Amino acid sequence: MIIVTGASRGLGRSVAERLIESGEEVLGISRDTKSLPFEAVAGDVADHNTLKSIAQKLRKEKRVLEGVVNAAGIASMNLAVTTPPSMTQKLIQTNLVGTIHCCQVFAPLMIRRKKGSIINFSTIAVALGLKGESIYAASKAGVEGFSRAFAREMADFNIRVNCVAPGPIRTDLLKGVSEEQIETIVSQQVLPKVFEPGDVSDLCQFLLGPSSASLSGQVLHVGGA
Amino acid sequence: MTTCGYIIMNLKDSKNIVLACIVEITDDEIKPTDEMSLIGKDATLDSMKLVELCLALEDKAADLKFEFDWTSETAMSKSRSLFRTVSSLAEEFHVQSQNAQ
Repeated sequence: MIIVTGASRGLGRSVAERLIESGEEVLGISRDTKSLPFEAVAGDVADHNTLKSIAQKLRKEKRVLEGVVNAAGIASMNLAVTTPPSMTQKLIQTNLVGTIHCCQVFAPLMIRRKKGSIINFSTIAVALGLKGESIYAASKAGVEGFSRAFAREMADFNIRVNCVAPGPIRTDLLKGVSEEQIETIVSQQVLPKVFEPGDVSDLCQFLLGPSSASLSGQVLHVGGA
Repeated sequence: MTTCGYIIMNLKDSKNIVLACIVEITDDEIKPTDEMSLIGKDATLDSMKLVELCLALEDKAADLKFEFDWTSETAMSKSRSLFRTVSSLAEEFHVQSQNAQ
């Protein structure tokens, strides 16, 4: 089974659907699970206790966890000086603390089997230092730093930890970003085009599978940075 | 002895469970004592073994019909960690088993 957070929409939804199409058993976690066509539980990644209850239930049911895709995230495109403190907290809590919580809570289920793969989501905004995304980038830079160190901690247990860092992808997260801004970002990528959610799913599938057995502690940029 | 599905356990039982788990995860290479350090410069187990010990205790707790939570704020934020020694870990294991009843 593979856990996908942020599974109700955007990249999380796309990754979850791709995995299901490929025959994987997926457990989605998201705040809104209404009408999701796959097994899902309601939960906020910022809430450690909820995640712990989910993990305890999985352990009791002896579910075999093979991977975790931490795709839950929020974005806010604002200059740092015009971002309210509450939004700063929310970005850090969901993007960084939420990712850490999921890793802390679900990794022990894979440690038992000494096998697993964890994918955390970053952004191209970290590598490019994009104007107007400083706090969002800070939260994701934290995810990258955490993932590199966590990869070393998990290596003894044969669990790989990698980051996927997409550029602009056509999802809800891009709403509110002008075409001009998107073009500015895309032009700085190695491959200057807007990629599709399917491209991110391809990469996640690769990182979850045995073909990526030699990769851990890496940040992979969709589009190149 | 059991009541309501829970197995009644005293502190000595808890300590014996912790000691047995250490022997098990180290393939009998370590002869643990009550005051053996689990963290810090004198730690006998490496970090990998410490995690394995926690998971082994989680399994034992499940057999005894309670949840052993080694990651809770209460367990981790005590001024003196539950991982200080075999005894302190056994005490926490015992307390959690009692709280579950």
